[in-house]
This record gives sequence, C-alpha cells and structure tokens, in this order.
Amino acid sequence: MTSYFIRRLLLVIPTFLGITLVVFTITRLVPGGPIERIIAQARQMNMSEGNTSGGSSLQDDSPLSPDQIEELKKFYGFDKPILISYLDWLGKILVLDLGVSTRYYDPVWEIIKDKLPVSAYYGIVTTILTYLVCIPLGVLKAIKHKSFIDSTSSIIVLIGYALPGFIVAIILFVWPAAQWDWFPLGGFISEDFEDLTLAEQIWDVIHHSVLPLIAYMIGGFATMTFLMKNTLMDHLASDYIRTAIAKGLSFRSAVFKHAFRNSLIPLATHFGNNISLFLAGSFLIEKVFNIDGLGLLGFESLVERDYPIVLGVLVITSILGLLGNILSDFCVALVDPRVKFD
Amino acid sequence: MRLDPLTLKKIRRFRSIKRGYYSWLLFGLMLLLAFFAELWINNRALLVYYEGQIYFPTYGTMMPGNTFGLEYAYETNYRDLQKKFQQEAGDNFVIMPLVPYNAFEMDLRETEFPPFPPSWKDRHYLGTDTIGRDMVARLVYGFRICIIFSLLLLVVTFAIGIALGCLMGYWGGKFDLFFQRLIEIWSSVPFLYIIMIIASIVVPSLTILVLIYVVFGWMGMTWYMRTTTYKEKARDYVMAAKALGASNTRIIFHHILPNAVSLIVTFVPFSVAGGISGLTALDYLGFGLPPPTPSWGELLQQGTNNLHAVWIVASTVTALVVVMVSITFIGEAVREGFDPKLHSTFE
Amino acid sequence: MSVKKLLSYWIMGWLLCFTTSIDAAEKLPNHIKWETNDTAPVWADPNAKKGGTFRDTIPTFPLTIRMFGPDSNGSFARVLRRNQLRLISYHPDTEEILPQLATHWAFDDDRKTMYFKLDKRARWSDGPLVTADDFVFGLEFMRSKHIVSPWYNNFYTKEIEKLVKYDDHTIAIVATKPDPDLPELVKDLLPQPKHFYGELTKDFVRKYNWTIKPNTGPYFIDKIKKGKSITLKRKKDWWAKDLKYFKGRFNVDKIIFTVVRDQSTVFEYFKKNKVDYFSLTLPSYWHEKAKNLDIHQKGYAKKHWFYTNSREPPIGFWLNEDKEVFKDRNVRHAFAHAMNVEKLLKTLLRGDYARLHNVTTGFGKYTNPQIRARNFDIPKVEALMTQSGWKRGNDGIWIKGKMRYSVRVTYTSDTHTARLAFLKEEAKKAGVELNLQRLDGSAAFKSFLEKKHDVAWMGWSTGFRPQYWGSFHSVNAHKPQTNNITNTDDPEMDQLIDSYRKASQTSERIKLAHAIQEKVHEIGSFVPAYKVGYFRAIYWRWWQLPRVPATRSSESFFDLFADDYGTGGLFWLDPEIKKETQQAMKTGKRFDSKTLIDNTFKAN
Repeated sequence: MTSYFIRRLLLVIPTFLGITLVVFTITRLVPGGPIERIIAQARQMNMSEGNTSGGSSLQDDSPLSPDQIEELKKFYGFDKPILISYLDWLGKILVLDLGVSTRYYDPVWEIIKDKLPVSAYYGIVTTILTYLVCIPLGVLKAIKHKSFIDSTSSIIVLIGYALPGFIVAIILFVWPAAQWDWFPLGGFISEDFEDLTLAEQIWDVIHHSVLPLIAYMIGGFATMTFLMKNTLMDHLASDYIRTAIAKGLSFRSAVFKHAFRNSLIPLATHFGNNISLFLAGSFLIEKVFNIDGLGLLGFESLVERDYPIVLGVLVITSILGLLGNILSDFCVALVDPRVKFD
Repeated sequence: MRLDPLTLKKIRRFRSIKRGYYSWLLFGLMLLLAFFAELWINNRALLVYYEGQIYFPTYGTMMPGNTFGLEYAYETNYRDLQKKFQQEAGDNFVIMPLVPYNAFEMDLRETEFPPFPPSWKDRHYLGTDTIGRDMVARLVYGFRICIIFSLLLLVVTFAIGIALGCLMGYWGGKFDLFFQRLIEIWSSVPFLYIIMIIASIVVPSLTILVLIYVVFGWMGMTWYMRTTTYKEKARDYVMAAKALGASNTRIIFHHILPNAVSLIVTFVPFSVAGGISGLTALDYLGFGLPPPTPSWGELLQQGTNNLHAVWIVASTVTALVVVMVSITFIGEAVREGFDPKLHSTFE
Repeated sequence: MSVKKLLSYWIMGWLLCFTTSIDAAEKLPNHIKWETNDTAPVWADPNAKKGGTFRDTIPTFPLTIRMFGPDSNGSFARVLRRNQLRLISYHPDTEEILPQLATHWAFDDDRKTMYFKLDKRARWSDGPLVTADDFVFGLEFMRSKHIVSPWYNNFYTKEIEKLVKYDDHTIAIVATKPDPDLPELVKDLLPQPKHFYGELTKDFVRKYNWTIKPNTGPYFIDKIKKGKSITLKRKKDWWAKDLKYFKGRFNVDKIIFTVVRDQSTVFEYFKKNKVDYFSLTLPSYWHEKAKNLDIHQKGYAKKHWFYTNSREPPIGFWLNEDKEVFKDRNVRHAFAHAMNVEKLLKTLLRGDYARLHNVTTGFGKYTNPQIRARNFDIPKVEALMTQSGWKRGNDGIWIKGKMRYSVRVTYTSDTHTARLAFLKEEAKKAGVELNLQRLDGSAAFKSFLEKKHDVAWMGWSTGFRPQYWGSFHSVNAHKPQTNNITNTDDPEMDQLIDSYRKASQTSERIKLAHAIQEKVHEIGSFVPAYKVGYFRAIYWRWWQLPRVPATRSSESFFDLFADDYGTGGLFWLDPEIKKETQQAMKTGKRFDSKTLIDNTFKAN
C-alpha cells in the first residue's frame, strides 16, 4: 500500500505541471496584461495631461516606440518564449518563490498569506458544521426511513442542493441582510473591529459569517446527508447486522457500533475533496458578501490581469486539491482495513 | 418506438414517485410555454384585422407601420395601433398577446421613471427592470436561452463522453492511461477563470459559450462512462458474447451501451441544472452573453444593485428556485426509478 | 522610432544633465520682465476653521504610492499627484497665472523660454528647502528609464529642450519650439527631492512602491493599512498655509480614505454616518435611492447640486471610416440622425445630463457655439439613405447590395449598457442595427487603437487647449496605435490642423479651432452624445463650504485638491454644529430639510 501512495504522490507532479502549463500559456496569450495596461494608460494620460496646444503636445504622437515596448516586456519578463518563461517561473516555484504581483509589486505569497486566514476560517467551519449536521441527520433519516421527518427533511435538503451557492447567497444578502437588517451587509469584520472588546470581536465575526456559512454549506448538505443515509441503510439491510440483531444485540448498538462506523467510509472519501474548498472557497459567494478571501483575490487578479497572483492561487489550490484526493484514499484505508490499493 | 418491458417498468416507477412526476409535468409546461413564448409574450399582435384583411404578425418578417395606414416605415407599434382602432371605433381591431411587450423594448414615460413595480393595468405583471423592460418577458425569454444552452451543452458533452468513455473503458491500456492523465489535468484547470479570460477579449455568442463549456466540461461524463464500460466489460455476459465470437462493435453497441445508457439517463437532469446555474453565474459576473440578451444572471445583478426595486430580485430568485428545484426533484425521481438497487427498509 | 533616434535622445538627455551643471554659471538675460500675481480674487473662505477628520472612501486600494511608473495613474494616485505644488497654477475661474512654488515668472521673446524665481520659503516635508537643483533633478528624473514611464521619458525629451539653473532660486525652462501656451507646457515639471532619491537605479519601481516620499503640498501620508485604508494628515506648519491663495483651504486635520468596493455599500456607510458625504451625481441615486432619506428630511444632511462649466470630454460614437458602411458621408450623417439621444436624456437619464453638441465643448472662446448636434430624425435618415442608394430590408434595416446597416458598438462600462440598449431599440426604428459589444477596458482600447472597431463608444479626457492632430489628422489614419480612431483622412482637415499647430497668435488659433470643429461636424464621424455638466452630493450638515461652494471645474465639493492645479480643499468642519446635530440625532430633534442648487457657473 505504501508503494501505491508513493506512486500516487509521484503522479501529482506531471498533473501539477500540466495544470500550471495550461493556465500559464493562456495567461500569456491573452491581451490586457501589464504592458497593454501601460500602453492604454499612457494614452489616457495623454488625454488628461496631454497639456498645451495641439502642436506641441505629446498626445499627438504614438507615444511608445517598439523599442520602448521591448523595454517594458523585459521589465515584466515577457520578452522570452512561453516555454522558457514557464520554466523560469517553475524554477522559482521550486524554491517556494511565487513571484511578485504585477500590480502591487508585493510578493505574491505575502498577498495570499493575508487572505488565507479568512478563507481557512470559512473552509474549516463549513466542513465541521457540514459533518456535524449531516451525519446525525443522515442517521436519523436512515432509521426513520419513509417517515414524515425523512421526507420533509429530504425536500429541504434537496431544495438546498438545487440552488447554486451564489443564488442562496443572493437570497440571504437581499432579505435577512439588506431588507430586514438582521445581519451586516457583507464583509468579514466591522470597520471598527480593532476598537472592540474580545467578546464583541468574537460576536462580530460570528454575526458577519452566519449568512456566508449558510450559503457555503447548503450545497454540500444533500450529498453528505444522502450518502450517510444510503450507506447506513445498505449496511442495516446487510446480513451481518441482521445476524448481530438476531444474536441479541440491541438495535441501538447494532446501528452505532457496527453499521455506523462502516457507513463513515464514503464520507471519509469526501473529506479530501473538501480540503481544496478549505482555501479556495467560492469566489461567487465571496463576491456577494464582499469577503476578502482567496476566492475574491483570485477573481480580482484575474479581472485585473495580475497573473502572478492568479498562478499563485492556482498553485496553492491545485496542490491542495491533488493532495486532497490522495488524502481521501488514505482516509478510506484508515477507516476500512479491508480496502487494499495496488 | 417500442420500449422493452424493463424500460417501461422504470418509467412506471418514475411516475409512481409523485414529487418527481409532478415536477416533470410542471417543467414540461414551462418548456412548452417558453418555446412558444412569442404567442403570449410579444409586442407583435396575435391578429390584426385591418380594412377587411386579417394579418398574423407574430412569426415572419416585420410589418412596417404603413401596412396599417400609419405614417412610419418601421415596425408597427401594435399597442398604439390597438388604441387607435379602439378610438376610431371602426371594424378594425387588434388582438394583443397576454403580455404585450417583448424582452427588449423599454417602456419609458415622460413623468415616471423605471423600474416600475408590478402593475396589472400596464400589463407588467412582474414589473419592469431598471430600464423599463418587462420582467415577465425578460424572465421567459431568458429561460428559453438558458434551456437551449443547457440542452446543447448536454447533447455535445454526452456525445463526447459516451464515445470517448466507452473507448477508454473498452480498450484500456495506454489509450486509457493517456486520457486519464488528461482528464485529471483538465479537470483541475480552473474553468470559470478560463471562461472569464476568454469572455473579456471576445464577446461570446451562444455557440462560443457552449464550445468553451464543452472544452472544459466533457470530462465528468467521460469518466463516468469509462468506469461503467470497464465494469460491464468484466461481466460474464460480455465474456460470453466474446466467447461466442461477437465483434467488438457488436459488443459495444448491443451489450455495453444499452446497459450503460440506462444509468446515464439519470445524469440528464443534473446536467441541465448545471448548465442553467453555470450560465446564470457567468451572466451575473458580466462574462456571459452580450447585452441586451435577456438573462437571469443579468437580472440578478440588477436586482442586487437595486434593492429598492425588490420585485426584480424577488421574481428572478423565485423563477430560479422553481426551475432548479423541479429539475432536482425530477433528477431524484429519475435516479430512483432507473436505479435497479431498491433500498430495503429495516423493520 | 528607431533605436538610433532613441539613443540620440538618450545621449541628449545625459548631455543636458551634464550641461545644466555647467550652465550654473550662466547669466540671467537683462531684457526679461518679471511678473507675479497678487490681485486675483480668492475663491476660498478665509474664515474657514481648521481641524477635524474627514472620512472618504476609495473603490480599490491603490496599487502604488509612487507617482511615476507602472500603475501610478489610478484615482488615488491623482490625489497624491496633486498633493504637491507646481511652479505656477491657474486661477480656477479666470484662468490667470498664480504663483505656487515660483513667486515670479517671465517670458523670453522667443516664446520658447520661461523664467522662474522660486519661493525661498518653499520646503520639502522632511525639512530641506526646495531649490533649483531639485528642478534639475526633476528633469533628469522624468527622462530616466528607471522610472518605467516611457510616456514621460518621451515627453520631457521631445518637448523640453533644457532646464537652466541661474542660482539656487532662479531657473529657466526651455521648450524645443515656440508655443503660445508655454506656461501650460512647463508648469508640470515638478521638482523631485534629490536628497531623498539619490541616484536612480533599476529597482526604482519596486523600491519606491510603498515608500512615502517628501512632498511640497499641504498633507503628508500618515498611515497606510494595506488593502484597507490610507490616512493623510495636515502639516501643521506648512510653509504656504498663510499665502493669499491658500488661506482658508486644506482645513481638515486628517483624511481617512477607506476602501469600500461598491457604491451601494458606500451609500449604506454614509447613512450610518461612517462616511462624510455621498456623491449623488448618478440620476438613479438622486431621483430614487436617495429620494426620501430620513437623515435628509430631518435636516441632518444636506443635498447640494452644483453646476460646473469646464472642458467636457467628447463622449459619443466614434465611427470608423475605414469600414465599408461608413465610407459614405451620408451614411455617417444618417447614423447621427438615428441616435435618439434627446429621448435618452429625457427618460433614462432623467433630464440631468445635457446634450453634447461639439467635439470641443467648454473651452471658452475656442468652442464654436454655432455647431449643434444632429437630432433624431427618421425622415432625414430616410432621405440621406435613399440618396445614397440604400433600401429598407425585410426587417426594416437598411440594405444596399450585400451591405446591411448593422454595426458593432464597442464600449467598456457596465453602466452604459442600459443607455446603449435604449439607443439600439430606437435606432431600429430608423433602420440602423446596433450590436453591443462590451469589452474589458484594456481589450477595448486595444481594439480601438488597432482600428478594428466599427463604432467606438467612448470619450477622451481633455487638455487645457483643444487638440486635433492626434484624432483627426490623416497622418494618424489607417494605421494602428494612433488616436485617430475614426480614420479621418481629409486634405482640408489636414491643412486646417497644420495651420492650427503652427499658429502663434491666439486669435488665429481660435479661428482655426472653430473651422476645425465645423469640419469635424461636417465629416460626421464623431457623433456627440452628452455631457454631465454638474455634480451633486449629500453631506452631513456640519460640513461648511464657501459662499460659492466649488470652482468652475471642480469635480466634487470635497475634493482635497480638485484639479491638477490643486484649487480644492475648500470645505471645513464646524464643531459646534456637529455637536448640535449629533445631539439632535439622539433626541430626534429636526432641522430644516435643505436641498441647495448652485447655478453660479451653469452653462446655458
């Protein structure tokens, strides 16, 4: 099994190279990068500061000569062929240097590091709460299959599943936050956060995060709950549980001691997938609630064509995603000793 | 078409699941209404009777105003024509559709300014958006585009997925391994990012958007199909068919595909839902179809920015909830109906 | 530009720096006559009180606080840029020259050289006096490749011949050719603190990205919370604070710019008294969202509408004459007659904006008042189109042979979508089909400069004097990377523009400008749309403004520096009223609800 995991880990490398190469190439081919921005700005600047009379103003000239554009390309390292600059970039990644933002001229890692706590907070809390709600609910639904509780909760969970997270976010933003004024209008913390006492600070964070958390969780509920319910029911219907009960084990302990544990396996496989969600979040939800997390950072960098940040965010999320997959398998192996990988 | 008894049984089981079945009826009705939207939401009249002649302007080329004795050469304003005929009190008459607006024209007035709240009198049953376009018209025509998009996407991705997945599963070996890697890489590429990059440099048309989505969305179906084929291939009846000398084509088309397809059907509703939410999200962010194409995402954008005109966001959200929930219920019922595994209950 | 040419500029640049130091021994010519100005009317309220904090917002955090180099041209950079004095400035209303860093100035007869006596009191924020050497360094700085501002490099190499230092407080700036608006050309050359920068090096852009540099203006950057806020503080002993034209200005002690991403959130913040004012310039805010505000009805906040009268950017449709449809002048004129701008202004824009008639609007005498924009007029469209042999097709859109009058309109801003969608629907009646294409700013700009567009919906920002060569001279037509985005190619126009550029008499230039504007109108490849012509805001009642609350070319009541000449900073806080109002807000006491409209500068 160790060799299996080693092989899986090694396979991460070509996949990672593939992902980054694809995105790197696209970012290179698309106009609107820092150089285009300077050219465009120079012209608008011509207009706003292209002072003086028609004759002498620079507005009237083509301001940037090809040589000057070459200079700029060199400044941003765009003067080399794609593959070469990709290798340059990769070489820096290997020594954990994500480069410098082409907008802020700050190290990408510093910028990402600033946003990590926010994203991690939402990711971790979402995961924990999802498990906390889904596992008991799944168990309940399995035991009370086809009861009133089962079917009503199914409907609710399914509705949550049906709606994309950002629609839920919009609904929550429009009514509880904006119309009824129950919650703040987005953001992660209040403006005057630093002036609050600790208790107020904790309350402030909770108050701000209730709605986004709901939006984050609601989509995951259905999958998790049904997974829990269905596997548990499969197990309850299986022979070994029937035997156990026939032998005099109480239903209760049959459920919790045997079936329950085995039913957690598929949930465990999901755990790894959540890892990337931990950090990447959903920029749509972040956008609706104006949460300054990694998702929004990626989105804004993309819109503003700050490719070092886009690639930096990609590196972090894709590595986490790939490792998450392996972790899933590992969790399965951990929970279920029968599972063998070859 | 003759259906084999097994399929019939599945359909019967699907119909027995009330929630899904009624959702299906509702959704079917919505589709029908959307596809014939011109007949009930239109600024063109259903029927014009003018000087002893009957005109049906709904479909076909536009009829300039001078057809009906008006002084202009552009498209007739049938609402005004109707008023004019009524005032003249002659034999001429105009029958307007239920909602006498299309999705593009703006109802602008001299003294009031849009957005207008829902009004029975003006026949804006759900009000107008911020520039005076009828909400019902925007919603229904937007829904139609959304559905066309999702169905196109569905057909293409399923075609690719079934073909490629089948081959991967059946041939295995290097071919399989190559595409496995490709899929793994491709599905980790942040696909919404790519779409946004592309959409900011070219204005995407419906076809381009479908194409982009296909390029980055064929993997799911392919992967599923591969696994299914792989499993089916290992089963005894395929072995038997092989032993009997059946050709590869025969095995694939007569044995594997029919079995796999009955499972794939269960993915259809979820794929449609995915298409709808995908397009809506893109439009919401401003990277979707070019304005003034009616779209739900654009309405959401407008609505969240104009919370004082709450009917915009309210009716859009309601429409979305109804559509998405009914699709999900259909999907759930299809899955239950077509899934041979019945859950035994513990008594 | 060839490498050789660039190289020669380089050498020239270095030589100049070299020669300026030798020139130090040069003697001031005797024939010049020094001028100054201490008689212009003041526009601030000299009795304004100092003190208080002003809370403003910015939509995005600035990318840098450098004022030069990449990304240094954002909206916040403008604040920083204006927070330093120039040699001279203009009076906001009369446009006469006023002293700033220079107390006196003089012109040489050649109209190429302008002399300045520097104010001996002028100081950098870190202490040292501003001297002629800072200006010498300033020119060197602008020409340096290390600041990665190729545009500045070009400008200060091609337009400024040299800077001569006579003594520590006397300099002359020499342009490369005679210019009737010489002050305008030279006034932007800022001194740079040599004692701070030292030698410029390759890492300039990164090194100074977040470094606070010394300045000469009334405020200094106090605190930068990256991504969140920037705080400016008033220099208590600013050297210029009691000078005639600065008295009663720059009154608040502290200004906090907080990042708030979107307008509607800023509005919420304002209502909760977390921000000091909110701009109501957009019709949807003034007429709807801020219509029945409790804080306004109770009189805690005032609404204020101010009409401006200054240079208006030419906003409208720029038709690409190289496209087959637009080769025919009749078709271009028909386009103008097919745009129902009047109805757009009356309905969607609530009658707030005004019709723009001329490519050159608000330039005083330089504007030709005779020119009126073409109105929406379907019969005229029909006459023009049939004259050129077009027919209405089945769908009502004009056709001629294989051509169909269906054009793509490229634009960049989301807020314009509704306006263009409206014009599209109206144009359909006139038989013109518009297809809207919204592109991201830089992508759109790229396609304009490469002349790939059919119709560009945009406006250029304006300069001190109208300029035409870049946008309308045939030299710049039919090739990429020039500003002639209409591909206007007309020999008469070329002639007019050439004489305009050569003219040395103001009256002659005005005459030529009028003729050019007429020609632009006749060619019809620019279809003017609208101008805003006002600004308005709602602010808490403790904020006070002079009797005339802003200047002719202000952009807001609460602009610290207003325009490039730094004529703003007129507002102040009245602590008594603030206390009174805050108490009233607690008890629910009401004041008179106030909506002020100022027509001082309203254009007809």
